[in-house]
Amino acid sequence: MGEAYDDRMARWRRSGDDELGREALAYADTLYNLARYLTRNAADAEDLVQETYVRALAAAHQFTPGTNLKAWLFRILRNTFVSQYRHERHNPTRGGLDTVDPTAQGAAPEQWLRGDLELDRLRKVVGEEIERALTSLSEEARTVILLDLEGLTEVEVAQVVGCAVGTVKSRLARARAALREQLRDYQR
Amino acid sequence: MTLMTCEDARTLLLDAQRGRLAPEARVQLDAHLRTCAACTHEEAAEQLLSEALEARLPQHGAPPGLKRRLAASWPGATAAPAAPARPRWWLVPGLAVAAMLLLALPVYYLRASDRGAVMVAEAVNDHLRVISSQHPLDIESGGMHQVKPWFEGRLDFAPVVRFLGDQDFPLQGGAVGYYLDRKAAVFVFHRRLHAISLLVFPAEGLPWPRHDLRRVGGAEAYVGASRGFNLVLWRDGEMGYALVSDVDASELVDLATKLAPNA
Repeated sequence: MGEAYDDRMARWRRSGDDELGREALAYADTLYNLARYLTRNAADAEDLVQETYVRALAAAHQFTPGTNLKAWLFRILRNTFVSQYRHERHNPTRGGLDTVDPTAQGAAPEQWLRGDLELDRLRKVVGEEIERALTSLSEEARTVILLDLEGLTEVEVAQVVGCAVGTVKSRLARARAALREQLRDYQR
Repeated sequence: MTLMTCEDARTLLLDAQRGRLAPEARVQLDAHLRTCAACTHEEAAEQLLSEALEARLPQHGAPPGLKRRLAASWPGATAAPAAPARPRWWLVPGLAVAAMLLLALPVYYLRASDRGAVMVAEAVNDHLRVISSQHPLDIESGGMHQVKPWFEGRLDFAPVVRFLGDQDFPLQGGAVGYYLDRKAAVFVFHRRLHAISLLVFPAEGLPWPRHDLRRVGGAEAYVGASRGFNLVLWRDGEMGYALVSDVDASELVDLATKLAPNA
């Protein structure tokens, strides 16, 4: 184990911490954006991002070159958030993951009418409304939606949030359904 | 062909949107959508939701102060190009067409859009190195008459600096640095509590910006901003100059006017 660790450190020195640092810092905006939506305020988001980089620097030797650095940083940020803001889990907000069944829509005539209205409303929804709706979702729902939006694969999202790939798929579907439900509520 | 249920179809809508569905599954999904109005509605709604999230969800960028603290805390992490933009899944079909069109364009057209961006990014990186370093200066001085001679023997060119510093912009000192592929003389001025980096380097062979140019003194200069910093780039004979700081743009142009050749 010691030898492997030394090898890794030697590789890091050869490739240069500068390079890792430069690449890591390039994700500051992306990490801050996720932090803002997780913490819901600027001051906590700054603290969270700063703590994320501190932890990333301390764990730099654990990062495997060639793997997705952004996903690795997201995982550290998310773990930091969960460990520091765990109380939120005991105080879930509206529109959580289990509030809407995405397969239970679209059969009855009145729902058809509502469906057409939904499409029209989705076309016209403004950024402030989307932000409000997203922020009202549970932490898990916000996380999977934002990570998916950042282009992470389901495998990478699973690694960030620490669950099975199949769970990511269903969690994302429920989160998006909950978001649509929230947007419908705002516009009624 | 196996008939697809609505439940199956809906679990595939996002994958289809992302372009990561296997061809056979895509065919089955399309066949289902042709006969199922409810799932067609779902597909449209999911597409609109992705568009709304991608195009209209507000993005919160990290404050410049936080970025500076991060750059200072990670050794050597001062050069931070912007992260790749996140993908726009709903543009996948359009992007495929656009990619084909782009292949037909002359290569020089693509490269022209990057002209100047490299120089701007490097200038900001160099400034960040200066402000995040614990010992940014090789020589500290109260005057240019001490700083300029110090570069003799340390550079393969003599930096020409037309302004020696004054009460408004006192010169703090100098250092030898690198600008892209060449050595540079780095001078650090101050404006109140703000540091201003002046990089002086041989101008030949660099991709100078061709846009956003304006007269600064007697020079045609690029005046712009990047990652929260203002900067001015100009040429004066064989020398190139990059002035970078977080001071107000008008104050930076004031200093650039003192440093540039007379109009």
